Amino acid sequence: MGQFSQYVMNGIMNGSVYALIALGIVSIFKSTKVVNFAQGHVIMFGAYFYFTFSVMLPEATFMPDWVLKWEPEWLAAYKEGALMFSPKAAIAGWVNNLPRIILGIIGAVICNGILGLLIERVFMRPLLGQSSFAMILCTIGLIWVLEGSASLIWTADVDQVPPLGPNFPIRFTLFGEQVFFFSASVVNFGLALFLFGLLMLVLRFTRSGVAIRATAEDQSTAYAMGINVPAVFSSAWVIASTTGAFAGAILASRNGLSPTLGLFGLSVLAIVLMGGLDSFLGVLIAAMLVGIFESLTQWQLGGEIAEIVPYVLVLIVIIWRPNGLLGQAEIERI
Amino acid sequence: MIIGEYKTDYGQDEGIWNTWAKKLGFVVALLLLLLIPFIGNDYQLLMAGQIAIFVIAVVGLNVLVGYTGLMSLGHGAFFALGAYTTVALHQFFPHLFPLITLIISMVVAGFFGFLFGLPSLRVKGLYLAVATLSANFIVLFFIRQDWLEHLTGGRGGIETPNAYFFGTELITNQQKYFLIVPIAIVMFLFAQNLFRSRFGRALIAIRDNDHSAEILGISLFNYKLKSFVISAAYCGAAGTLWAYFFPAILPEDFGLNMSITLLICLVAGGMGRSLGPIFGTILILMVPELLKMGAFYFSEGNASAQIYFSPIRDIVFGLMIIGFLIFEPMGLVSIWDRFWRFINRWPFAK
Repeated sequence: MGQFSQYVMNGIMNGSVYALIALGIVSIFKSTKVVNFAQGHVIMFGAYFYFTFSVMLPEATFMPDWVLKWEPEWLAAYKEGALMFSPKAAIAGWVNNLPRIILGIIGAVICNGILGLLIERVFMRPLLGQSSFAMILCTIGLIWVLEGSASLIWTADVDQVPPLGPNFPIRFTLFGEQVFFFSASVVNFGLALFLFGLLMLVLRFTRSGVAIRATAEDQSTAYAMGINVPAVFSSAWVIASTTGAFAGAILASRNGLSPTLGLFGLSVLAIVLMGGLDSFLGVLIAAMLVGIFESLTQWQLGGEIAEIVPYVLVLIVIIWRPNGLLGQAEIERI
Repeated sequence: MIIGEYKTDYGQDEGIWNTWAKKLGFVVALLLLLLIPFIGNDYQLLMAGQIAIFVIAVVGLNVLVGYTGLMSLGHGAFFALGAYTTVALHQFFPHLFPLITLIISMVVAGFFGFLFGLPSLRVKGLYLAVATLSANFIVLFFIRQDWLEHLTGGRGGIETPNAYFFGTELITNQQKYFLIVPIAIVMFLFAQNLFRSRFGRALIAIRDNDHSAEILGISLFNYKLKSFVISAAYCGAAGTLWAYFFPAILPEDFGLNMSITLLICLVAGGMGRSLGPIFGTILILMVPELLKMGAFYFSEGNASAQIYFSPIRDIVFGLMIIGFLIFEPMGLVSIWDRFWRFINRWPFAK
């Protein structure tokens, strides 16, 4: 039972990262009716931007030393006598990195936001009004463009980036068995849920959120009511790419940085369809479910089968409910 | 568009070669295809064989995507099934006649096409795309498994057999060319023939609006599944020829990249048009080669510049897809149409 709950909790933590990635796909779909196959690669760019601003830039000669390693006096006093791998040492190490983590996050969010705007303006806007098939193929074309440019700009080596939170093991007993996880994944979990919740609140209570929801409901009516629909499209892409920057930073610190990060987007696409393309709640549930099932299969059947868990689950769910768990059925006119 | 072509009955209008231009074009194309193996070098024949194999698969995809309007991102799996069926069959019967392997591969791929097609009755559009994508991942997962390693070679790949044609082993690209291209021509004509029959018209009706088609009395269940089976069988045939053509296969060859490449060949050529697959495949497969030549020319054989080649190729490839979607959404065929319309009407109109 203890082991079981350990794996379920691991699954929930992975699921929260999936949910964060899925958030981007759903927000783009809801307002523009485009399913972004390249979301994983946008995230990969976020990860590389995070790497640029948190590792490459601080190491540059013109940057002050404290950006790379921040050591105020109170920290030295705090660190006195801390054991290796103890929470105290981990937190101290995290505070050392704090300036460059913050720099990295800010840089990644801004650059990725610009990237999202660029994609929308240059590639998606000219396709406005074309079939959804063309739009999907366009985002598939983007996969190649993004992958190629990433390996042109950054060399294709796997690199390390600083984790977003202090990283030490947390141990406690549950149902009489030892359970542990890394504090960094708890921080990632919290961050992902926080961003998810934040976006929900923005959509519900702000003017621009109302504009986005109105556009999602009916584009031409939204136009008639004076909503700037193209601006809504842009903002949807910016939301997707900025949340993608966070997701990229989390993934890069967890799995390491490599061009294969983009493939993550495809399994998340399966999750999105499983939850229902236009339902944030459904996607959250699906992400958690896939996370849990993945870690349970990893535990019981080995890591290899875990690779195809999202795909098997989505097939089952789609046949059972063709519009996903909580998605709305599309009404078609003949 | 051809002037002065008078028809006196419906049979003439329905024929595949219903104008003299088509007849002439077909004959010229056949002669050219006959000429290629005698003038081309080994490398050019490699490209020609590859293009012919891809044309078969893309023609099959065209039946499903272009004519029936169902989207698939999983046709790489059928390709894989064809190729691996061939390899497995040749382990038991080393000298099996290639056409028998071809038919068995088509049946196997067609059966899986039936299975993949089942969700298409409930879901369509994007949901179907992702369902087929998932199926592609799942098929490749099983091919990589250790317990199938004696048949498939697992993740390390497997060497493929050569075809034996009445006792002669087909080894050179020239010999293989004479196996592949006739099959490609026959399969192309078969697909062409399909769409002047009741069956083909039913598929087109489903593409245009499946609810209306159902009201007209077309059984969606029947036709959608048949369309899936036919297009899967085409890809299975392509897979068999692929296994004969190349010395070894890897599971990764048939992944998402393959599925997307097939789809892009179709879009670049023109969906739902008979010549689309041919134009699209030639363009999409030739562009990397041209880029390679260009890169070699500009870097003057400089090895350090070569590492930039693969990312640049990816970027050009992606931009080309997007460019097609934005500027020429109907594909190369529409340029071809415009050209002939211009020739026909000149000098009276543009």
